[in-house]
Amino acid sequence: MTSQHSTQEQLLEAIMDRMIPAIGDLPSAGQMGLVDEIIQLAAKQKRFEDLFHSATAAFESSSPDFLTSSESVQDGNLKTFESNNPEHFNTIRTIVYIVYYKDSRVHKRIGWDGQPPQPQGYEMDPWDESVLVNARKREPFWRKV
Amino acid sequence: MTSNHGSKDMTVDVLIIGAGASGAAAAASLSEAGFKVKCLEQGFWQDPSKYASASADYDFEMLTNWSVDPNKRQLDEDYPINIDNSPVTPVMFNGVGGSTILWTAHTPRFHPSDFRVKTLDGVADDWPLTYEDLAGYYDRNDEVMGCSGINGDPANPPRKPRQMPPLPIGSDGMRLINAFEKLDWHWWPSDNYINSEPYGEGRDACNFCGHVHMGCFKRAKASTDLTYWPLALKNGAVIETGARVRRITTDSSGIATGADYVDSKGVERHQPARSVVMAANGIGTARLLLLSKSDSHPDGLANSTGLVGKNLMFHPFAMITGVFPENMKTWQGPLSNFAMSQEFYETDESRGFVRGYTYQFQRSLGPGWVANGGFTNAIPWGDSHHEELEKRLGSMMAIAVIGDDLPEPHNSVDLDPDLTDSDGVPAPRINYTLSQNSRDLLDHGIKNATKVFETAGATDIYVDPLMRQSGWHLMGTARMGEDSSNSVVDKWGQAHDVDNLFIIDGSVFVTGAAVNPTPTIQALALRTADYIIANRNDLKG
Repeated sequence: MTSQHSTQEQLLEAIMDRMIPAIGDLPSAGQMGLVDEIIQLAAKQKRFEDLFHSATAAFESSSPDFLTSSESVQDGNLKTFESNNPEHFNTIRTIVYIVYYKDSRVHKRIGWDGQPPQPQGYEMDPWDESVLVNARKREPFWRKV
Repeated sequence: MTSNHGSKDMTVDVLIIGAGASGAAAAASLSEAGFKVKCLEQGFWQDPSKYASASADYDFEMLTNWSVDPNKRQLDEDYPINIDNSPVTPVMFNGVGGSTILWTAHTPRFHPSDFRVKTLDGVADDWPLTYEDLAGYYDRNDEVMGCSGINGDPANPPRKPRQMPPLPIGSDGMRLINAFEKLDWHWWPSDNYINSEPYGEGRDACNFCGHVHMGCFKRAKASTDLTYWPLALKNGAVIETGARVRRITTDSSGIATGADYVDSKGVERHQPARSVVMAANGIGTARLLLLSKSDSHPDGLANSTGLVGKNLMFHPFAMITGVFPENMKTWQGPLSNFAMSQEFYETDESRGFVRGYTYQFQRSLGPGWVANGGFTNAIPWGDSHHEELEKRLGSMMAIAVIGDDLPEPHNSVDLDPDLTDSDGVPAPRINYTLSQNSRDLLDHGIKNATKVFETAGATDIYVDPLMRQSGWHLMGTARMGEDSSNSVVDKWGQAHDVDNLFIIDGSVFVTGAAVNPTPTIQALALRTADYIIANRNDLKG
């Protein structure tokens, strides 16, 4: 692992800690060991990976003391970055949220079944024509030509 | 060097450019009638078992490799689109099936009034055909694609029964519907080309996974790779995939002779043809016509009027999202279009604008999608994050306002001077501004949708006044008309300038109506095919 990666990982962990705080039995997002997965997932598309690396680099240069700052200063840095670099900020937030909400520990906490939408899909009550009882009372109102 | 695949005469009767909604429909009809049909498609066949809705990374895939936006997807078969001058991003898919691979399959029909907006409302132009001219073709298309829905809608003319009952409404859907009924406003179950029960060869019923916009793993959603193309291939039609067309070629008299293209191995080729049918969508077709300049057509093919690429219509969308106090599991069921309202579809001048809009009822998806905002802004980061996620997950629904878009010449597609696709072919550039009529119409829709959510008991309501990633409906850039001085094709889709060139995608629309266009595009394609079959035996080799 290069030192550049290491710095990026530390920075991501710190950002994630401020973005998604601890709740219940779960630590804050940065302490959940998700950084490797974020980096691997970002690499599944070249366009996104480039955006992601340029976003983390932009954040690092905008907040060089982030890792050693207090939580309130970190929050201020993130808000400034969100306001000044919305595309970069959105890139980081998007993948942090995606990876956090695909984690089984999070699924358990929020009561999500955790399966991809397919192949199981979901159950719904079948179509019931009685729902149309009121709608059918209306006279045709399309404009005749 | 350009190759013709060897010395054998490879000339086809009909060369179709694009294997999407319209190209597939025309290919099936023409091949059944004995025409030798070949289609060039820059994308490839899809394997439904590999659609990303079955991947653990589906939320990421939806935003990247399976994005509906080609600028985000960036597959080799996609072409980039310059959208710097457009508040709406065009979305599409390039492959066999075209954008029907990723569409939500909402399939309402045009109203009779949509074909007569000049006569009725004094705006834009009338179409050179009527609703009645298309009604039978709509029915034929429903048979092949498979329509779920139900008769009796008071907002639309009577028609033949659909092939399947509607998709279920669900308790979440009833929440919205009850509000519409309290307000005494129209609603009706949507027509969808999604199977509510098994229909078509190897096509199962929908299992309500929600991710209808990511390709249908169950083949329950109709895409033309599953519907028309198997019929066309059985009739002897041929598709060449990975074939990127550079230009339509013409002879010295200006007649179309085929197409130059780059094949999947990067070899430059020419496909000779007795006629050419453009089915590359309202951006792709205009792009190719503009690229096909020649001595006979110095401004681009079929462009003696200068109208190719002009009058681009998108359907502007606004989206209103409501959050309800209960978790209704709103991720269960198709994300989009289980019902609609056309209360405000027809012109009422007291509203301050002409034409109108349809409301489309939408659900929601899982936690990754909800956290990133769904149809609205992302959930805040920081201390309020968990509380806000809990509030929205399973509790969000949305109403889309899809507004009639009228043609304006300055809304256009042209060729970008610098941007190219991966084969060096110039990319399209979009110039689009929202008209005041469209803005007023959307604002009216936002106000009334807000009233619906308030009536339904939503606790939070969010408004996106103009959705960025909503340019699904690509229309108007090679309009049809009787007068060759102000239209590109006639009422049969035949180019005024070129006797053996036909256009069958959304380019030919005169106006946009306020409904999803695909059934109308396909009905027009079937009608053009019937015209060729009845009148153009000269095109048969």
